[in-house]
Amino acid sequence: MMIDLMLAASSSHPEAELALHIDWLELLRWCLTVVFMGAGLFFVLAGTLGVLRLPDFYTRLHAAGMTDTLGAELILLALIVQSGFSQMSLKLLLVALFLLITSPTATHVIAHSAHKEGLEPILGPYKAPELDEAE
Amino acid sequence: MRDPHILLRVVSKFLIPLIALFAFYVQFHGDYGPGGGFQAGVILAASVILYGLVFGIAATKTAFPPSWIRIGMTLGVLLYGGTGVLSFLLGGEFLNYSVFSHNPSHGQHYGILAVELGVLCTVASVMVAIFYAFGSRQPGVPNIENANEDG
Amino acid sequence: MVFASTSHALPVYILDYGLLAILVIVAFAIIRVRSLFAIVMLQGVYSLVCAAWFVSLDAVDVAFTEAAVGAGVSTVLMLSAMLLADCRSAPVPISRQIGPLVIVIIAGMAMLYAVGDMPAYGSATSPANSYVGMDYLERTAKEIHIPNVVTAVLASYRGYDTFGETVVIFAAGLGVLLLLGLNGNAGRWEACPNGQCVSDSDSVASIEQSGSLASSREGETKPSKLKTKGADDA
Repeated sequence: MMIDLMLAASSSHPEAELALHIDWLELLRWCLTVVFMGAGLFFVLAGTLGVLRLPDFYTRLHAAGMTDTLGAELILLALIVQSGFSQMSLKLLLVALFLLITSPTATHVIAHSAHKEGLEPILGPYKAPELDEAE
Repeated sequence: MRDPHILLRVVSKFLIPLIALFAFYVQFHGDYGPGGGFQAGVILAASVILYGLVFGIAATKTAFPPSWIRIGMTLGVLLYGGTGVLSFLLGGEFLNYSVFSHNPSHGQHYGILAVELGVLCTVASVMVAIFYAFGSRQPGVPNIENANEDG
Repeated sequence: MVFASTSHALPVYILDYGLLAILVIVAFAIIRVRSLFAIVMLQGVYSLVCAAWFVSLDAVDVAFTEAAVGAGVSTVLMLSAMLLADCRSAPVPISRQIGPLVIVIIAGMAMLYAVGDMPAYGSATSPANSYVGMDYLERTAKEIHIPNVVTAVLASYRGYDTFGETVVIFAAGLGVLLLLGLNGNAGRWEACPNGQCVSDSDSVASIEQSGSLASSREGETKPSKLKTKGADDA
């Protein structure tokens, strides 16, 4: 579709003056879709890399949670923009809403139960200064 | 003391009615989109099971008493079979819904609705019943009745 | 029904083969992993990937059922059943694995042999699309006037089959209830998670609470319980 638009705009077809009335709204929609989809894919990729590469449970959970929330949400946002005002976009909006509520909850519950079971995170050498030492 | 699972409980309380609502959407939208009695029954049972997971089996059993579940299991099969029996009492074959109305296609609609309701009843009740059966057992605590029978 | 048209063939193929590859990997993981908790979770993953694959094959109703039953309810049921059993599966000796392996290889080769006779995906002359299936598709619009042919076939044309399925589900529920009871207290049963009986003191206390009849026979109950523990350890 994008390519069709560009072809229509660049060609010296008899219908060129008709095609020169570029539908700016349509173009904006496509740009937004590409931007959101690209950002979503980036976050999914980063989250996957994080799950594979990060050292301990909590950091990996952070990466996985980012995939769930930010990546999936941005991809859904791209799909909503793409489908315009329709029943489909309403359904996608509902899916996005549920994902926005449930996936941080799931991440929180997993981290909470791991912490309760006594799983210690790997900490760096830096420690926050004790209050009485600072005085 | 503060409830350690307060976030889970709040979110579940928000989600459980919506899951049940979605189950009924799937049930009654089955003529027009994907879905039907089986799927709706499982989703309805999933909302009850989610309640059981978050708030405990005892609270779930007060909300959905096991006697209801037992009745629901049989009611679904009876509703399905009863639809068939009604259809041949009205002059058609067993499970031929066309006789339910003057317009055969309307009769089919009513029949499908009744039958899907029966499926919903049975599937949801059986799922919840199996969850009750497994979830009610406390690991490692012997049964008092057994202790009596052993003697 | 949108079948894989030629212009979209490549992405659809990549999606299908990717999902199938994930299924194979998850299946191998299920075989290799010893922790039952991980196996239950992987089965949920398997069902979810299966559902995605069914969507890609345009079998939306089946995908719906698979996602709800396989990934949702059955995972919870397996977890609650696992609570009563061991957490790890015992390794099977190699000598007992040879027979199943031979059977699996023979069955797999038979299936591969049969693949050559399968009709092409979405073929108009396949048995599913030529005889009674086409009949249902044509007659649903005329006779029942509902858009979803699956519901029409399920509830009306194949009403007997669905009645049978409902009775099967009812019978399954009935069987579980007869064995376990709705309140989980039927039958002679005692759970030993991780091969050890937990909360001896609790059980003794509960027996004492149950009244004079039970407490007078406490001496007789205890040895039988110890025997179960020993049998499970062995």
